[in-house]
Formats: sequence, structure tokens, C-alpha cells
Amino acid sequence: MKQTAAILEPRGSIALDDYVADLGWSHDGTRLAVAGGEGKVFLLHRDGESLRARQVAEHGLGAIAVAWQPGGKVFVSSGQDSCVNLYDGDSGERRVQRRPSKQWTTALAWSPNGDRLATAAGREIVVWSAALESERTLSSLDAVVAAIAWDKPGRDLAAAINGGLVLHRLDGDVVEVRRLKWAAPCTTVAFSPNGKVVATGTQDGSVHFWYLATGRDSQMRGYPSRVAHTEWDGDGKYLATVAHDQIVVWDFRGKGPEGSRPVQLLGHTERVVGVAFQPRGGYLATIGLDWRISLWLPGKAPRALDAHLTDAEPTVLRWSPDGRFIAVGERSGRLTIFELVRLV
Amino acid sequence: MATTDRVPVTVLTGFLGSGKTTLLNRILSEQHGKRIAVIENEFGEVGVDHQLVIGAEEEIFETNNGCICCTVRGDLLRILGQLLKRRDKFDYIIVETTGMADPGPVAQTFFLDDEFKTQFVLDAIVTLVDARHIEGHLEQMNEPAEQVAFADVVLLNKTDLVSEADLERIERRIRAMNGTARIFRTRNAEVPIAQVLDVGAFDLQRALAVDGSFLEPQYPFEWAGVYALSAGEHMLRSGAESHAAHDHHGHDHDHHHEHGPDCAHDHHAEHVHDHGHDHDHGHDHGDGLGVVLLPVAAATADGLTASIETAVRAFAEDSTAVACGGALSPGPQLFRIDAAHEGGQFHLQVPQAGAYALFFEHAPSEFNLRLEGAKPAAERRFASHHHDGEISSIGISDPRPLDPQKFNDWMSYLLKSRGEDIFRMKGVVSLQGEDRRYVFHGVHMMYDGQLERPWPAGKPRSNTLVFIGRKLDRQELEAGFHSCLA
Repeated sequence: MKQTAAILEPRGSIALDDYVADLGWSHDGTRLAVAGGEGKVFLLHRDGESLRARQVAEHGLGAIAVAWQPGGKVFVSSGQDSCVNLYDGDSGERRVQRRPSKQWTTALAWSPNGDRLATAAGREIVVWSAALESERTLSSLDAVVAAIAWDKPGRDLAAAINGGLVLHRLDGDVVEVRRLKWAAPCTTVAFSPNGKVVATGTQDGSVHFWYLATGRDSQMRGYPSRVAHTEWDGDGKYLATVAHDQIVVWDFRGKGPEGSRPVQLLGHTERVVGVAFQPRGGYLATIGLDWRISLWLPGKAPRALDAHLTDAEPTVLRWSPDGRFIAVGERSGRLTIFELVRLV
Repeated sequence: MATTDRVPVTVLTGFLGSGKTTLLNRILSEQHGKRIAVIENEFGEVGVDHQLVIGAEEEIFETNNGCICCTVRGDLLRILGQLLKRRDKFDYIIVETTGMADPGPVAQTFFLDDEFKTQFVLDAIVTLVDARHIEGHLEQMNEPAEQVAFADVVLLNKTDLVSEADLERIERRIRAMNGTARIFRTRNAEVPIAQVLDVGAFDLQRALAVDGSFLEPQYPFEWAGVYALSAGEHMLRSGAESHAAHDHHGHDHDHHHEHGPDCAHDHHAEHVHDHGHDHDHGHDHGDGLGVVLLPVAAATADGLTASIETAVRAFAEDSTAVACGGALSPGPQLFRIDAAHEGGQFHLQVPQAGAYALFFEHAPSEFNLRLEGAKPAAERRFASHHHDGEISSIGISDPRPLDPQKFNDWMSYLLKSRGEDIFRMKGVVSLQGEDRRYVFHGVHMMYDGQLERPWPAGKPRSNTLVFIGRKLDRQELEAGFHSCLA
């Protein structure tokens, strides 16, 4: 255990004048963007433990999501005004505003190399060029999109809908559609980083996944309610799944998880609202309505390595791209940075 | 999270043209100082001051492996989840459904899981009814009846377009389907906001304060009166009195009942031709109004009550048709009179002076029926027995405590076997060995029950259960209840 023990050390905090609904890190970890549930969009600069914030825009009635371009200098936001905005990541200046739909754009997903942005609103997905100059609408969906995700090579874009997953292979002007049907409202989607598996969590309390090479699928039941999160570790070995206060980790090594007993991470006493694996690492961070931030190493220990209490209900959790820090947002507007410190 | 933190949600249903938009605009424009979010059934996002209007596209999720009853609104799950992402919550949320909507999925959304139950509370289902067209709609399709059956509050709207007699008849019909809803008569959906928002309709005691009559068994008659009559012939007249005839007729042309302007007209045929459908399931007076005339011991309320059993038996017998100008005589004999006949008259032949009770299948006011020159010494209304799409309310009231396990088993059985037909159920139950009230409510197969505040010390406890649904069988429900007695 000694080699793997680690704790989270606070490394700065700031109070924003809005509910922290979403946040995203710049690729170098020096800046963060925040979407406020009441509408404000903030750009934060981080220098050591010092955080400076500036409001850069407002989405009327509420901001929903933010996303930094991987490896790039821009970020995007979406809101209840149905707009998608693109900002300069240094100045915070809004460069472009688009309104792809009358409905809310609820999901933003940059392709892993940052050359395209996918946005989802209602039954429509739009795939934009990086500067939001050109667009292509994917009209293959017959239900409202709950979540979208790219695979690691940025070749396939998956959408979770009521009735399964819809995979779009984008190749020049050609879009090849593959439907992975499952008769349940699918609410999440996540490709394993090794490209072998795509998983979804459903409204009726199960996890369903497909082996992409063969199309073979499996279902994991027994969750108490909606599976709200499905997150892979950096190697595609573990799939962390969350329903209410239960965190269940499936082991995809060897023969895979079918018939195996999953690891249950025990500690949260209220609903878990955020879960994320460290990029390229094995640590898992979670936040819950018990106002607790927990750090885990699934596969090594079923108990948390470290835990902190927040000042208010935590809302969102994101790792910095280098896997050194996590940022945790709260309902009150507080945003706190923690550093992962290994104990040797 | 404390229950008081939950955001109350009002669901607004009603057929196209019933006045939902008028009511919404009224709520949004009134200066009530509350933060309200409205989820509409169409797109077009408009913020009015601090109020939010969101367009939604109904998306039905089947949960629980495709069980038809376990449907929820997927779009609501997402939108309401997003609306929580604020430091200060909304004071109220209003969800408007489409005109043809089954209120089931939207109501069930609030029973789905703890995530929702801790954040939102379904405050009331408010159904707007277009007084001018509701009767036609009830006969042509199922949705309006379901919307009425689900309601906690019914706004009987556009009352200026129909007569008082029509309103009474419609209100009775609504009451027969839904025994607990509060009914308000409105023009232009004008109603105090407090009657539709944050009304706590799921508080059963408040709901029962409305009208407990549906707790009674249903009788085959709606009205009875007891008279002291002299020997000889008495005249029972129907239809408008001459001076009012024109007014009444003026309201009639657009309605779908069989009040006709003259003797020679074949109203039933006209009706069928007009609407091209058959009336088997409707509220139909075409076969005539059931009437029983019984001699009773005294012209008092007690005398009337004592004759009820005999009247019930008489109503179960074959009937004798009585045309306009025909005669009825006392005894346990069911007559069917052509009461729809405007200016109709029927002779009551009374062999000897005494007390007599008249039982009418429908309320006599529907036909302006009156016994000439006589006033009832006592009268009584009974729970209506109209069956709209076989929708009705059944109440059970009993002071005896229940065995918790048996009650649990019965509820499980009911949800599984009858969930599809039970639209709403609510109840306050006294469990053996438990000091607190057990309060439950359910929508189809979705159910939520919990122990709430204690019973008052030293006062009698009582179980009250209400079921609203289709094809409900009182005997079956009562037998089930009795099987739970401790």
C-alpha cells in the first residue's frame, strides 16, 4: 500500500458569483473556464495557489457546459439561451457565437486532437470545425441526445439516446451510422481508451456495454437507480460506474467483467454527483452530496485513500490534463484546487 | 434534504382550447413576487423578468423493462435537473402538457427515484375543462376523462358559454369520475393563483375536505325526495317552464345531450348523425330517466332513508317505459320516463293520502323535473353513478388498525395486478403498533409511502383510502382492505 498511498492537498480556492455548473481546464493547467448555473461564464487564471477570475460572458437564464480545446487556446460554452460561444483562452474575448438550435445545447465534446467540436441539442448533433466556421448536422437520431463522446482516435462519435447508442464514423463527407440497440433510456456514453468497448449507463439502473470488434454486448444489473456516470481509467482496465451513493468498478482485464464480482467503493453516504479517473493514471476522485471529496485507487483498496469535506454541496469535479490537480466546484460558487500528493 | 426544501411542481393539463395558455399568461403576468419556471409543450424560449419559460418536446421513457405503466418524461428529467443548478431555487415550477397528453408519465416522473423525490414535490395536477365542449370530448375520446381523473384541481372554464343547468350537470359528471378534486368555475381561467400553485393537493385531509360523498357506496339514483301527497293525481313536469324556454334553448344548440325542442324530433338519430359515433359508453339519457315512487312511513328524512334499500332493489328490476302523458303508480317498480321531452308531463296516481318518496336516476335539475304544487319535505343527493369510460372514484373509510405486513402485501398486489387501471391512489393509514400516520400516494404502478406526523393522542384514528381509476370494483377493493385488518 505504501507505494500507492496518496492524499489531496488544497492548493487555492476562489469564490465565484454563481453556481458552478461545469468547469474545464486548459491543456497546460494554467487556466480554467467555469459555466455558472445562473448564466455567467468565467475565465480563471491560476498562478501557484493564487486564482484570479473574470466574467467573460453571460448566457441568458443559465450556462450549461464549458470545454477547452485539447492542446489549443480556445474554449467554448453553451447555455439556456441556446447559444454556443467560442472564446480566446488568454483574453477571454468572445470570438464567435452560434445558435445551432432553439433547444438547449446540453453537451459539448471536442475531438481528442481538438480539430472538431461536437455539440448536442435535442435530437441533433452538430460537428463544427475548430473555429465554429463550418458545420455538419447529423440527423440520424430519432430521440433526444442525452450524452456524446468521441473515441480516442477521434474517428467515431457516439450518442446516447432512449433506445441505445448511435455511433457515427466521420470520414470526409461520408457519415457511417452504426446503431447499438438496447431498449432502455441510455444516459451516458464512454469509449474505453483502448478502443475495445463502449459503455452506457441507463435510466433503469443498469450498465450496458458492447465489444466493438464483434458487436457482442453485456448487461450489468443490480444498481439501485439511474446509472448517472460511466468513467474509464486511462488504460481501459477499469470502468467506474455510479448510481446514487454506490460506486461500482468493473474490471475489464483478462476475460472481462462478465460473471465477475465488481469492486464496490464504500464511503459516500449520499448521492455521488461527480466521478473522474486521473488522466493516464489509476487514481479516482469522487464528490457526493454528503459534501465529501474522496480519493480512491480502485483495484488496490475499496476504501478511500483520503477525503475532504466541502463548504457547500459539491457540483462538479475535473482533473487537470496532466493528472496532478483536481478542481472541485460548489453550489455556493466556491472553486477549490487540490493537488494529488503521493506518500512514499 | 428536508421536505420543505422541495420545489413544488404544478402540472397543467387540459384539452386544446380549454384555456391553459390563458392561465399560464395570467400566472406569469401577475405581480406575485415569486420565481416561477414554466415548462411548455412547445418551443419558444422567453424569459419574463425572473421567470423562465422553457419549451420542451415530450419524450416518453419506458422504465422498468418496458412496462407500459412505468413511463416517465425523459425531457423533464433533463430540464428539471438543469433548473436545480442555481444557488436559489425556483419557488414554483409549472409543467404544461399537450392537449392530448396522458397525465400519467408526467406525474410518474416525480416518483421515479430518490434523486427526484428529494428535490421536487408534485404539488397538484390542475386540469382545465372547456365547459362548452367537455361533454362532446368525453364521449369521443379517452384523454379528457383521464385528465379529469388525474386532477387535484379542476378549473371548469368558459362558464359564460353554457347555462347554469349545464354547469351543474358537467360538475356532477366530473365529480363522479374524480371524488377528491377541487372544482372551480372560471371564465377566462380567472382564478386566484393560490388555488392552483402550492396548494398541497397531496395532503389527503385537505383533498377529502372537498367532498366525502364518494366514500359512500354508489347508488343507482342521484336524488330522492319525500313528499306528503293527497290522494288523487299529481303532475310531474319536465323541461323548461314556458317563460324560460327561449333562454335554455339558446344554449342548447351546440351541446351533445338529448334535450330536444319538441316531441316529434328524433334527437338520438340526429346526435348520431352529427358526430358519427356510437354512444354506448356515454352519458346517455336516450332510454329515459329511471324513476321509482315508493310509499314510506313518514314524510321525513328518516322515512326517506328507510326506503333506500327498497328503491335500490327496484332499480335493479326491469323497467316500464312511460311516454309523455303516461302514468306512474306507487310501488317497487322502475319506470323510465321520457324526461328529455321539453314540456313533458307524467301523471302520478296516488291511491291514498300519505308519505311518498320519489327516486330519480339523475338529478331532477338536469331536466327541470318538478312535482307540480308540491315541495319535498326532505331530499337527499347521492353519489353519481355516471361512468365515463368506466372511470370512477372509490373511497374507503374505516377506523380499525391495519397489519403493516398485510397492508404492504395488499399494496404490492394492487400495484402489480391493477396498476394499469388505478390512475391515482392516496391514503392515510393507521398501522397496528405505530404512533405515526402512514401516508401514501401513487400513480399507476409508482408508489411512495412514508410515516408522517403522529396521530393526536387520545383521539380516534382512522384509515382513509381513495382510488381513482378505470373499472374499479368497490367490493374487490373493500375485500382487499378488510384482509389487512390487524
